[in-house]
Order: sequence, then structure tokens, then C-alpha cells
Amino acid sequence: MQQSGSGAILSIRGLTKRYAGATALNNVSFTLQAGEVRAICGENGAGKSTFVKMLMGIVQPDGGIISVAGTAHEIRDALQAQSLGLGLVAQELSLAPDLSVLDNIWLGSTEVPFFHRRSSLRARAQQALATLGVGDWDLDRTVGALSIGQRQIVEIARLLARKARVLILDEPTATLSDIEIEKLMQVLRAIKARGHSIIYVSHRLGEVFELCDSVSVLRNGEHIVTKPVRELTRESLIELMLGRAFEEMYPERADASAAHHGGLRIKNLHVPGAVEDLSVTAPRGKILCFAGQLGSGATAVTRALAGLHDKATGDISIDGRTIRLGSARPILAGEVVFVTEDRAGEGIFPELPVRDNLVVSKLAICSRWGVISWRAVRKLADDLAAQVTVTCAHLGIKSGYLSGGNQQKLLFARAVGRATPAVLVMNEPTRGIDIGARAEIYRLMRRLCGEGYVLLMASSDIEEVVGMADIVVTLYRGRVVACYEGAAVRMPSILRDIANPDIPDGQVA
Amino acid sequence: MRKAILRLVPPAMGSITPLNRFRRLDGSQIRAILHAVFILALMIAALATPGFLSGPALQSLLTTISFIGCVAVGMTLVTISGNILALSLGATVGASALVVIAASNRSGLAEAIPLALMFGSMVGAVQGALIGCLRANPIIVTIATSVLIYGAAQPITGNAAFYAVYPTSDSLLNARLLGMPIEFVVFVAILLICQFLLSFTVFGRNVFMVGDSFNAARAAGLRPWATIIGAYSCAGAFSAIAGIMLALRYGRASMEFGLGYDYSAIAAVLVGGTAISGGQGSAIRTFAGMMIIGIVQVVLLLQGFRQEWQYLITGVIVLGVVLLSPPAGR
Repeated sequence: MQQSGSGAILSIRGLTKRYAGATALNNVSFTLQAGEVRAICGENGAGKSTFVKMLMGIVQPDGGIISVAGTAHEIRDALQAQSLGLGLVAQELSLAPDLSVLDNIWLGSTEVPFFHRRSSLRARAQQALATLGVGDWDLDRTVGALSIGQRQIVEIARLLARKARVLILDEPTATLSDIEIEKLMQVLRAIKARGHSIIYVSHRLGEVFELCDSVSVLRNGEHIVTKPVRELTRESLIELMLGRAFEEMYPERADASAAHHGGLRIKNLHVPGAVEDLSVTAPRGKILCFAGQLGSGATAVTRALAGLHDKATGDISIDGRTIRLGSARPILAGEVVFVTEDRAGEGIFPELPVRDNLVVSKLAICSRWGVISWRAVRKLADDLAAQVTVTCAHLGIKSGYLSGGNQQKLLFARAVGRATPAVLVMNEPTRGIDIGARAEIYRLMRRLCGEGYVLLMASSDIEEVVGMADIVVTLYRGRVVACYEGAAVRMPSILRDIANPDIPDGQVA
Repeated sequence: MRKAILRLVPPAMGSITPLNRFRRLDGSQIRAILHAVFILALMIAALATPGFLSGPALQSLLTTISFIGCVAVGMTLVTISGNILALSLGATVGASALVVIAASNRSGLAEAIPLALMFGSMVGAVQGALIGCLRANPIIVTIATSVLIYGAAQPITGNAAFYAVYPTSDSLLNARLLGMPIEFVVFVAILLICQFLLSFTVFGRNVFMVGDSFNAARAAGLRPWATIIGAYSCAGAFSAIAGIMLALRYGRASMEFGLGYDYSAIAAVLVGGTAISGGQGSAIRTFAGMMIIGIVQVVLLLQGFRQEWQYLITGVIVLGVVLLSPPAGR
């Protein structure tokens, strides 16, 4: 049924894109009705971003037709996409932080005259914000002062002000806290109620079931199926994305702490402006999780332990040996391994080959008097790649070309293959990573537990916290709310703690 | 708004005309072709120039590129380490030449050469410390250093050249290895040492990593500041070698020795194709860039162009290379 008749706001026929040898998207066709909220699901590398880029004119298709409201168009650039009523909220927000909300809403719009700022522009910006339920915002506020969630709403307002008919959101919640996600959901429902169509690309299936009417599943560049959400379950959707039955996401907890002695002891950790007086002990063989929203200080704890926070103070010891805060010495000595949440900014070396990224901190053991044996490096890299299950054509390609999941595995490779188990400090270990890679990383984490590593992670993904942690420390605005262990690790109490612990039980959903 | 209905022709069905074929090439292929065309044109121009293949012309070509080449090799290290460019190397060349002449007049060459080398690497190390440890802007630090060196040299030298009291050994200067001038041999040695450092040592790999992402290097537990100090020290030492060779060749030293070397070295690094954003490149590439610029200059000289034209054309070549290089962030 290839109707592109009335009601269809967007119709895509046989969309194809090939990159040097590889087919990123093959003959994808579907139709989006006016007012429909469509989720695009698929693993990393399924072709989601290529698809979005072609709609926005960032990438030109090799074949296929994109019709907007019944008319076929060649979308040459973002300006044309804008004029057709297609608007994208990208993963990396494109706001100018030093300009006001008003300026950002009209930035780059063709309607703005060169000199004169019409008052009608102001009124329309205000109206767009009101549509989103945030009409009380000050238009002259600097965008840099807003939270990430608020900035995203500004981006959406920008698209509405330009009369976008189809909003495309690419992983909008990847960097948001739970409360901000809820706010965003409200905003999106408001837009939907006003008849806008939305294309929603996300890894988070909960949001798909909460918000969307239908799902299109992509796998390896092919369009697998488009189905109404109500005909799917979480499990059946995952199986469609993976193309195979999905085993358990979270590996079974196997308490390995009995087999190992010692661990990490944190006493009176202070990070100015972020964390006050945190004390906790993490035995070897267990996963300790700092759960909290953005700004709770969970991130600051991990960064302080990794020596990336100059002003942190406290008594930290590993197996009774004191380590110094505020310097990279623990990392250098191999006692601490840090996995950042900011893969692009301080995680991988994007221009360097995968092989170099795998052996980053282990060059010393492949060299003598500072001279590297490339044979030893190759052997070690092959071994590490197998251990962390990196999938790429060969280890010589630039790591910047890998998917997020594979890049994250490169960071985990720094932890494995050590003579003595270390303390692995992770910050949002699976942010923006697809389900398959995520399960593999969880298995790897459990394996490291078994080898006697201490695992610490900060996470705002409560499902992940409950699924993985042996010990949970909940944080709210820089102080510890509670510490749960074993069977006491349960979703309701953690959710309450991190949202607002001062409200008594039963009043928070 | 364009209303034209588009028929996107799949590549297999498009008629294959030469123009189509050209269009289907991606950016890197087009660049490779243009590079090849340019180098071919240069070779033809060089071979067609009377006198190019003569001994004296080749000798002077090799000698000239050797001095700037040493600086360019050091510049490559700094550039790969992600610190854009060092604009103080020319001043280091001149100052090292002064040091070696002054010291040799006092206590002989055997002590003067190590002293000048040490001087060069210390000047580099101080800049590296400012840039690596304090995260100062590399361009500002190196420009300031350059001004500082020229400023300090002025009262010391009184704007005059230093002359060697004893004439330097002619036999050493006129020595040839396989017919190549001694300066060129030294340059090639430095080039190979630098390439070895980059490819086969932990320090060298760290230079690439720090250049690709300073923050990632820090989070991975490397010592990015130490790597940057190392890169600048090497650059300073290599520049000092250029200064020493100049001083020995001419038997005198002045701050004018290094003038313009920064820019010629930058040109060689860029023409060679080392990424200005850091994390990519090689000393061998810089050698190729140096050869291209050197050959262009000799051809222009032999063809009777004046000095000004040489600068102009070198500038055009560098701009052309920048235009041909892939856009940042790709």
C-alpha cells in the first residue's frame, strides 16, 4: 500500500544511500500522517542518522523520493528543509549560548530582516513558547544560563516559530535527567495535540511506548517494519531491532566479593560546589552506583576519584593504601581507570586508529626503553578487541568512525587485561548506546567484578542502576540521601531519593 | 522554493561521460588527483628549466632546504601535538647561532655545540611548560617568546653579527656524503630521528594522542603536559641545530639568520599535509613539503624571477594546499 494521498505529510519512497562500498540505507519507504508521532528504532549503524540527515538535506540520497504534503522535493540543504517545514532537534544542540532566547529562536531564519527587529517576531517567539507550556520564560534570558533540558525546549520553540510541520528529534533525551525528560514529554504531547507530526529517534524504549503512535524499525539500512505501538511489546520491539531473540539485558548478579579482599574506601569526600561529606566503602567484586539527577554530584564523585577535580578533598584508600586526589597519579599508577560519559570530548582519540585507542594506557608494556614493538602492540590490540567485543572492519580504521557502542568498548578496553584488578570508575557507562552493545558492556562489567575489580559508576538511568548495582548511594544536591545494598536496591525508593527526598513516601510517582 | 520534481538517478543507470565520472569521485580522490597533477607539473617545470639538473643548483637546493628543514621537522612535532604552530623557532635559530659563535670563541666548538643545543631545547621546554601545564595559548606564548628573544638579543649584540675568531674547519664544511652537502646529511638524520620518535616510541604515540585530544589523554592517564614539553624541547633542539649549521657555514651569527624560517617551515608542514588540528601527520610528509617548496623556489630563481615573486608564489602554493585540504572536523 503505497498511498501518498491526503493526510500524508511526509512520504518517503525507496530512499537509498551508499557510502564507499557500504549501503547505509537501502530502499526505505514509509509514510507519515499529519499529527502522527512516529518512532524510528534501530541499533547503532541501522541507518537512523543517515535517514535523518537526508530529510534535513545534510546528506544527499543516491536514490529515492521524498515528498512533503504530496509534492516531491529534492532537499538540497538545511535552508530548504526549513522552508518545507521540516525541523530537526539534533543530538548536539545548535544554540548560541551567549545570545538571548529570542535571538536564538530567530537565529538563521530567513524571515529576520537585516537591521530592524520587528515586534511581531517577539510576539511569535512568545507564542511558540506558550504553545510548549513555558510561556512564562523570559525571552531576553541568555541561553547559556538555561539547563540542557530547557535549551532543548528553546530549540523546539525555534522550529515551531518557523512553522515546522514535521519535527524530527534525534535522541533528545540522551543527555537529560529524568525530571527533564518528563518535562520534554509534556512539551511533545502538547505539540502533538496541536497536530504537528513528530519523528522521534531514540534508544529509550520507555519513551517510545509512552509517546509514539507507531514505530518504524530499521536494521542494517533496511526498513524492517512499521507498526502501531499498541501491537508491540518491549520484547517484540527489541527482537525486531536486533533481528534475533534477545536474552536478558542485565547479567545475573554473582557476588564475587567473598573471593577478594580489600576495596575502595572513601571518607569525607568534599568537592566544592558539588558534593559534601560523602563516605562509603566499595569492596572488590561489587558494583557501587551513585544514583542521582544532573547536579546531584554523582558525576563529581567519579571525576574526583579519577583525579580530574583539582579541588576535591577527602581520605581515599585502595586496599588500605591512601591515594591522592586532584592529580592523575592514581590513573597513571594503574590503580584507577576512568570511563567518561563524554566520549567525543575526553574519551576516545577520534583521529587515531582503533588499535591505538585500544592500547592507549598499555604502551609501556609493549615497549622497551620507550621504543615500541609494533608486533606486541598488534597482538595486545587483537586480544583486547576480542575481550571487549569491538566490531569493526579492521583495527586500522579511525575510531571516530565507530558507533557509540564500539567507542565505549574501546574505553572499557583500558580496564581489561591488567595484571592486578583496578578500580574502574564510570560515568554514565551506557549513555547513547544501543541495546546490543549495552548488554555486552553489562556482561563485561560483571566479568570484571568476578576478577576482583572495584566498579564505581554514576548513573541517572534508574533502570540501569537497579539492574546492575550491588550497592546504591543515592545523591540529591550534593549530599547522600541513603545507601542501599543487595535486596534493598529497589526502584521506588531510589526514584524518591533522587527526585526529592524531603517529600515523604507515597507522594512521588 | 524549488518545486521541480527530482528524479534521482541511481549511479548504475547514469550515462558514463567523463564529467559524470569526475563528479562521482569523492573529495579525497579529487584531492589526490590534483596533488598528482601538481607534482607532475612541478617535475616537468624543473626538468625543463635549464641548469636545474646541474651540480651547483642541486647542491644549493639541498643546502637551503636543510636549514629550514630542521625547523620544519620540529614544527611538525609541535603541530602534531595539537599546538597549532610555533612562531618562535626562527628566533631560536638566530639565538642558537649567536650562542654557538660566542661560546666557541670562548671555549671551542666541542663545548659550544652541546651548549647551543641545550639552549635551544631549554627555550622550547619553557614554552612547552607554559603551554602544557598552564594551558596558555600556544600562538601567544610562541610569539611572545620570539619577541622576547629578539628583544634580548638586541642589547647583547648591538645589532651586529658575531664573528668566529678562528675560521671554522673548511674540510668538515665541504665534506660530502655521496655527493650531498653535510648540512643535508644532518637534516636527513634529524628527519629520520624525528620519524622514529613519532612512529616507534611511546613519546611519539603520546604526541599523536595529546594532539588528537588533550582532555582524552588526561582522562586516559597520560601526562599530556610532559608530552607537550617534550615536543617543544625537540622543536627547540632541532632549530638550534639549524642555527649551529648556519653559524658554522658562514663563520658568523646574527639574529637575521632565523628571519622568515617560521613561515617557510609552516609552509612545508602544511604542503606536506600534516593536519593543523593535530593528531595526524609525519616528518616524512614535511620532508616532501620541504622538497616541493625548495624545488619551486629554485625553478623560479633559475627562470629569472625576482625574490618577491618567489614569496608570492610560495604563498599561493600554501593557500592552494589549505584549500585542497579536507574541511576540519571530518
